[in-house]
Parts: sequence; structure tokens; C-alpha cells
Amino acid sequence: MNISKLLVANRGEIAARVLRTAKARGLATAVLRHASEQEGPAHRIADEVVTIEGPTPVAAYLDIPQIVEVAKRIGADAVHPGYGFLSENANFVAALEKADVTFVGPTSEVIDLMGDKVRARAFVEERGFPVAPSAIEDDDPATFVERSRAVGYPLLIKPSAGGGGKGMRVVRADSTLETEIETARREGERYFGDGRLFVERYIERPRHIEVQVMGDGQGNVVHFWERECSIQRRFQKIIEETPSPALSPQQRLDICETAAGIARAVNYRGAGTVEFIYAQAGAFYFLEMNTRLQVEHPVTEMVTGFDLVAEQLRVAAGEGLSAAQADIPQNGHSIELRICAEDATEDFRPAIGDILLLDEPEGEGVRVDSGILGGGKVTTDFDPMLSKLIVHAEDRAQAIARARQAVQNYVILGVTTNTGYLDAILTHPDFASGDVSTGFLAEQADTLTAPGEDISDLLMAAAALSDERLVSDVMQIPEMHRKMGGWRN
Amino acid sequence: MRRIFQIDGEETECWLSHDGNELIVNTPDGAIPCQLDPTGTPGGHVLRVRGRAQELRLAVGPDATFVHLNGQTYAIGRVDPAERLAGNDGGAADDRIVAPMPGVVVSVNAKPGDQVKEGQPLLVIESMKLETSLIAPRDGVVAEIPFAAGDSFGLKATLAQLAPEED
Repeated sequence: MNISKLLVANRGEIAARVLRTAKARGLATAVLRHASEQEGPAHRIADEVVTIEGPTPVAAYLDIPQIVEVAKRIGADAVHPGYGFLSENANFVAALEKADVTFVGPTSEVIDLMGDKVRARAFVEERGFPVAPSAIEDDDPATFVERSRAVGYPLLIKPSAGGGGKGMRVVRADSTLETEIETARREGERYFGDGRLFVERYIERPRHIEVQVMGDGQGNVVHFWERECSIQRRFQKIIEETPSPALSPQQRLDICETAAGIARAVNYRGAGTVEFIYAQAGAFYFLEMNTRLQVEHPVTEMVTGFDLVAEQLRVAAGEGLSAAQADIPQNGHSIELRICAEDATEDFRPAIGDILLLDEPEGEGVRVDSGILGGGKVTTDFDPMLSKLIVHAEDRAQAIARARQAVQNYVILGVTTNTGYLDAILTHPDFASGDVSTGFLAEQADTLTAPGEDISDLLMAAAALSDERLVSDVMQIPEMHRKMGGWRN
Repeated sequence: MRRIFQIDGEETECWLSHDGNELIVNTPDGAIPCQLDPTGTPGGHVLRVRGRAQELRLAVGPDATFVHLNGQTYAIGRVDPAERLAGNDGGAADDRIVAPMPGVVVSVNAKPGDQVKEGQPLLVIESMKLETSLIAPRDGVVAEIPFAAGDSFGLKATLAQLAPEED
């Protein structure tokens, strides 16, 4: 099928990133914008910006009939979903299929299968791929609590329909098992409309390693190597890199081939990511498969030299993959930092504010996928991630040095961000040695948020001298009195 | 006039004077002679404090001043002492449960007039995709819970208020 006009059903940095590739491929492009939404880079790149409506901005981006109607109305013959929102919604894919609009992604059947963690896990296990010890509520709801106990502590409760860490609870003591199950069930119902749960053994000090795969839907699947995503806060990644410092060459081949095998088993079409829990001893277990482009896909692009969105568009247009496995290199080292509007010293509380000044870093081996513009507003309508800073260098040590320099030069004034926190992580000796787990940020919380050198004198001076009212007050009074300004009775 | 600047959770009252050559930032801890000159880049300035020059980027927001200095970003809260005095303080701090972050109310488990025990959950909120129970900070009587399930609230909103303690 030919694709000539692409609608990007997303926003922020990912919409801008997809639009750039689509335009470079000569496609006409359109993107959505909610009436109350700030202008972002994507709106300046797209040929066409279509206003969508909804009680909240997020609701509008989740409104399947409205988005399908937009695609038809503007004559888009394909829709790229980005990540999040409707990217893994089988109903959306089915609605597009019915409307004869190409979905840039896998079939609704595969999304359905992989979207149900329980079914996905059973599917993977049946085909001989490794999974962690677990108990599934649906197998026999009446005995779920007992079977959870039998998995052993610590254990992790997850909503069957979940993702992104939502509703996940770690249980370390039997006394809290039942209340935690109830909380997880409520969260599952609210986020996913589905309160079914499963538990699995919580692997201590695990690493999160995932593999980028791409299939043509005709039986050909390749992998684009792994990404290490162990640096997480609240189960959400904030630093990703490739290659993983944990893997030996043989382990790397094993995990990447396992991922490609899983994708082959579903005759995968498009870009996908197979996520694994990697135990310190070297064993790895299938966690889930994300049937979309990931936030952290740029690190893969930096080391392989492939444009993954271009590959997605090729596959969607029926042109197949542009490369065979042997043609996909892993050159140098790449690190991504997620720049988020949040206060790392206050438990990552989301921050809001006006972007008064924006100056993003640039230079050799530095890429910024940004979703913000100077003068914009950061609200809590959407995810707190503002942009992604990606660096590439010859080896890991140089990549870390480059990332530090770039994040230090990332100037965002007007809203609190995590740039200083990201820099503190990059500086940490355990990060430098690569000896981390998904618990790293929590374990090192005090070190990572420790105040730096006391420069309150400088800050006070800068704040006072840039305070127009303070300055004009003192400049208006006669000089003799000015000299006495510090006097008080 | 004077300002209260908040740096790293600490408040310092400050006022300016001028010695004929340069401005002096005065605080209860001492006087800082200093000078701030724009460099031409957006927000770019050179700050001279006690003879030492320092490049920085700076932006003044409605209630905070933001400074990017040596690769780090700082937010300096700015309060007008007169406005603070005029403002309504809203009762003792331990009577109020203040939103630790913006979010949505999931459920309300108490109502005005209820006698509650320290540690008793008063409401469940959801922020940043996680549920949190907000508990009574002490034994007391619920005076007000201004939000209902489904309502969203901002940072530092008062989510529950206990009646003042009687001596």
C-alpha cells in the first residue's frame, strides 16, 4: 500500500521526531493539537495541525472515533501513533483498519496478545522462552492469594493489563499481601478498566534490559541490539544506554536472539521492544513486549545508524526492512537522558511553570529530541517529560563525559527540571562502573540529591540585583540616603 | 523595600543599598557588594561578587528567580514580606493536610465532624500514577474536606483540615 499522507496521533517530542522523518521521506504530514495545549515543536514541523476536542487534553488524544474521523477528513492514508496514548490500543487499530487507514505498527491481534501480560507471558513460556516464577489470578481467582504466597517474597503485583509501572506493588511481608493486592486491583481498574492481577517473584537488584526488534510481517525479523534501562525512578526509566555494560558478547547475542525469536513467533510487523528482567547472576526472564516505538529508541539509532521511524514507515508501506541482521552494527556508545519537569529533591513531584528561557545543547554527538519551545507553559495535563537529550561517543566513558557536559549546558529556566539530578547520576561512581540495578536511584537517593557547594551568596546577589523593584527603589533615593540604606532603627 | 529570598528551603530577608560605586545586598548575615551586567546572550549576565566574576543565565518569574550557574539550575523563591503579613495564614500547620503534589482525589474516607485518630486515612489521592493515603496528623475532629472523589487539586492545596486543638 502506498502512503502519501501521514497523521501523527501524538504530541510533544515524539510527534516532532516522527514528523521530521516523515517529511524527509516526502510524505505530507499532519499532527493533532488540543485546544488548550501549548504550541510545541511538532506544530511547527507538520504541514497541517488539526485541533481535537475533549473534556481534558489527554481524553482527546484517547478519543478513537474522533481521531479516525480526523484521519478520514484530512485524507491521511496512514496514522503513526507514537508511544503512549493509543499506540497499543487494539481497538484503535481495528477502527483504522475498518476505515481503510494504515496503522503504522503491528496487527490488532498481536497488540491484543502482547497487551495482556498474562496471555503474553503464557505464550512466551509455551514456546520455551524464559519467564520468572509467577501466579496468575485468572487461573483460579479463589486461590490467588495462596498461590501468590507460594511464589515467595519479595514478590511484585502487577495489573494484567498494565504497563509503565502503574499499579505495580512490591510486597516483602506476608502481613501486607492482601491489602496491597486490593490497592493494585483498584489502580488496575482505574487505569486500565481491568482489575485482574498477576504476581511474580521480585528479582533482587535486577537490571532492566530490553531489545529493539523490527519485523516486516512476512516472517522476517531483525534485532537492533539491546538497551540497558535500569536507571529508573518509580518504575519509570530516566536514563537509558546501549550497549548494556552488564552483558558479555555471548550474553548479548543470547538475549537479542531470544527477543528476535519471540517476535518471530508472532510474525511481528513493525517496531517492537522485548523487555527482560536480568538477574545479577546472569539469568534473564521475559517481562513484556511493547508493540510500539519506545521513548528510548534514539540510543539504538545512534549506535546502529538506522532511522527506526523510517523503518516503521517502510514496513507500513509494504517495502519491507532495509537491512538484514548482519548489516546492523552496534557502534560506539549512546546514552539518553529524559529531561523532566519535576523536583528530584521532593520525591519527583511534577513541576509546573512558564519556560522563561530555553537554550538546548548542541554539538558533535549530541541530539536533542525536544517537545518544548521557549515561552511555553509546562502544565500537569501531560507527562512531565519535556525532552530527551541523547549523546553518542566512541566508548562509554566518553559518552558519560559528553552527556555530563551536554546536560550541564541544557538551560531551562522557569520550571524545575531534573537536569541537576541527571548530572548527579552520571557522576556517581556506581554509574561509572556500570554496577547498577533498577533499585539504584532509591538506594542512592540521599547521595544523588545531596546539596552541592553552598553558593547562596551568589544566588542571593543574582536574585536581588535582577529584582527590578529592589533596584529601582534604591536607585531612586538620593545618594546620601542610599549609603545609609542598610540602617535600621 | 525588602524581599525574602528562599534558597534551598532557607529564607533570608534582604535589602539593597548603594555605596556610590556599586550595589550592596544586605542580609542579617552581612553585606555583599556586587554587580550584575548583561552579556548579550538571552538571560546571560556576569555577576561580580567580592571581586570574583561569574557567568550565569538568569530569568525572573512571577514568584521565583531562576539561575543557571556552573551547569546547575537554581530556583530562588521571592516573597514580598508585606504581602506575606497581609496574607491569611489559615490556621496552624499541623491542622492541615496539604497536597504534597498536584493530583486527583480517589476517595474520601472521612467527613466534617468525624472524630479521627492519628494515622487514620482521611482520603486517598492519586498523583504521578500512584495512590497515596493521606492520614490524620493527630487525633482530632475533621473540620473540612473540600474535595470530593474525582476532583483534581494543585500543589499545596489544603485537602483536609482538622478543627483547632483545644488547650
